[in-house]
Amino acid sequence: MVCKRVARSRSPAQWVVVVLAVGASTWSSRASADPLRLRADALTDTQSETQSPTGLVVLQGQDKVRPWLDAEGLVWAGTKPGLTGDVLVLALHLREPHGYGEARVGRFVVATGAIFPVQMDGADVLGRTTWGGSVELFGGVPVVPRFGPRAYDWVTGARVAQKVASRLTMGVSYVQRREYGEISNEEVGADLAAAPAKWLDLAAKGAYDLTSPGIADGRLSAATRIDAFRLELFASEQSPGRLLPATSLFSVLGDFPSEMIGGTVRWKAAPRLDVLASGAGQLVGGELGMNAWIRSTLRLDDRGLGSVGVEVRRVDVISARWTGFRAVGAQPLGHGFRLSSEIEIAVPDQPNGRGSVWPWGLAALGWRSHAGWEVAAAMEAASTPEYRYELNALARISRSLELR
Amino acid sequence: MRPWIKALALLVALTLAACAGVLGFHPTDPSRPFPHRAHVDKGVNCVVCHAGVEHAGDTGPLHLPTEAVCRSCHTKPHDERACLGCHGEASTREGAEIARKNLRFDHTKHVPVAHGDCVRCHSAVADAKAGTILPKMASCFSCHEHKDQWKMRDCDGCHVDLTAEDTLPTSHLIHDGDWIREHGVRAGSERDLCASCHTERSCAKCHGAGTTPTLPAKMAFDEVSLPGLHRAGFRSRHAEEARADPGLCTTCHSENSCVDCHTASHVSPAGTTRSPHPVGWVGSGRGGSEHGVQARIDPVSCAGCHGGAGEMLCVGCHRVGGAGGSPHGPGFTSTKNKVHDMPCRLCHGPGL
Repeated sequence: MVCKRVARSRSPAQWVVVVLAVGASTWSSRASADPLRLRADALTDTQSETQSPTGLVVLQGQDKVRPWLDAEGLVWAGTKPGLTGDVLVLALHLREPHGYGEARVGRFVVATGAIFPVQMDGADVLGRTTWGGSVELFGGVPVVPRFGPRAYDWVTGARVAQKVASRLTMGVSYVQRREYGEISNEEVGADLAAAPAKWLDLAAKGAYDLTSPGIADGRLSAATRIDAFRLELFASEQSPGRLLPATSLFSVLGDFPSEMIGGTVRWKAAPRLDVLASGAGQLVGGELGMNAWIRSTLRLDDRGLGSVGVEVRRVDVISARWTGFRAVGAQPLGHGFRLSSEIEIAVPDQPNGRGSVWPWGLAALGWRSHAGWEVAAAMEAASTPEYRYELNALARISRSLELR
Repeated sequence: MRPWIKALALLVALTLAACAGVLGFHPTDPSRPFPHRAHVDKGVNCVVCHAGVEHAGDTGPLHLPTEAVCRSCHTKPHDERACLGCHGEASTREGAEIARKNLRFDHTKHVPVAHGDCVRCHSAVADAKAGTILPKMASCFSCHEHKDQWKMRDCDGCHVDLTAEDTLPTSHLIHDGDWIREHGVRAGSERDLCASCHTERSCAKCHGAGTTPTLPAKMAFDEVSLPGLHRAGFRSRHAEEARADPGLCTTCHSENSCVDCHTASHVSPAGTTRSPHPVGWVGSGRGGSEHGVQARIDPVSCAGCHGGAGEMLCVGCHRVGGAGGSPHGPGFTSTKNKVHDMPCRLCHGPGL
């Protein structure tokens, strides 16, 4: 392994992003609406993953023109390696003033019921009844990153749900997705959320694949709180082959589900000390495994502005066996400055020539003004499976603005 | 008692005393909740300090007392520092400011109905240790049923903007524990509830088709206590993470994500003669079927590099009549037409 980090001169495209970053911050201070919320982030790092050095601008805005009309956008532009960008959200949200219905139009993520989240360009309509029922219909074209065109792709679906006495919500859903006109995903699902008692919360959902009949994804969670403790028991079953598009050759290999059952405990051990532990047994391809971690966070002041935390993790599942240690610390320095650091050491059981230890560390200094400006800079150092050592410098400037 | 036991006991006591401060049993902040109850017990009417609040509309100042108001009664203060520097917590004042800004509430309409009895809504006054005396929402519901609005998720009647109000859930909705794993199953049935505070971009930042640049772990690199799947040295251990939970990655990533990123970062075996697989991965000898076993356990990993046009690598051996035999494992069924539909026709197509 060798160190491979060579700084390159900025291309014209990278300069465009830098100019966009400065322009976005300036523009955001002049924009107006009622009420309008804007945020512009410009991030640069020297990591080769994004062709160093690179620039990235993220603009997010939300506007409530009327109580019944919202508009929201989230776009980014960057150099990877040439000038590129994408729209993550560009949606209009209309609401019937009394809540009987609402609609979304544009680009957004549909995440409802047992349906896997899907980003699409299209429309989503939701109707509600006064007796707690609701019907949701959606349809559109699944998003391909970077505006990649793909003919005859579409996704349609629906969910019907009923709420009972604010303590139980049940729903059934259906989704069909096509790629190049071929069915790539067709599922029915059921979901449930219940709070049968003040101390108990239940949630479950399951999706059944209609193309290759069988359970594609099933999840169950039961949580309770007792004084300083919160306990959650969970279980899941996933069929990786059914989670792939049914147009993929790798979806025909058969049913080898991945199952997991475990629990998580959160203990507020002291006013400033939280302990969180989780453990799960896994059955993957018929082989037993486990995944466990414990994390503790100590706040250094009553408001939690400063904190230190440690985490230890062990994963032992088929060929993924490793132990990890992580520590974080953050301390306000006054005048809006904040110092933070994070280290992680991962030790794989089977290095396979990728290095026996993968240490990673970061030290960052941030500053935040009352006027909505944020500036942060950091140095990141690591020894990775690819490189014996690497250094990465990161910097971010952000501006948040709210106008009424 | 032996001297060393005394010394040990002293050491333990001192350690606990020191830790008590660190752990928050003895807050170091000198401020404390304002003694509302003590003032009420003394017969001080609320409007003596909060002058004019009974005429306060939906907007305007908070009507918090000034130092001069305190000293009009407390003529001989025990300390020269500002009274409200210690008697009253900054967080309480901030909470009141946020509520004023983001709640539609008019005291002029409520004071007459309550016959001037502020404690009817501000019941926390009776609790000498209560930090905030803002009424809980249940107090509102004791008069305003709002059943229809509640069912319809029509919060705008009282809440100007729940997102800006930054009211964190306190009951079963609290984002506690391993929330990143848990949120999916919770949000499935409660989209309306999530949407009370979260907007479209909350989902899209992670679940969008091209999300990498906007991941919170990437943008908020200095917020080290933020949880996230991709934090710290994730890039080093991502292969291990993917293998440990087959299928998890496909929640957000398409099957082409692996090869896209590996190609961009020049760590892809594509275009080279070097295979990342162990010797004997494919073949008829001992261990030759290992690739099939692993493919069934984690087909997503295979698709990561061999998806799309790369599938023909498999078809070459596993098509009908091929040397590799049938790739279908036990329990495989499909409703697709094997001659006409993808991907069946690759192996079962006409003439095969």
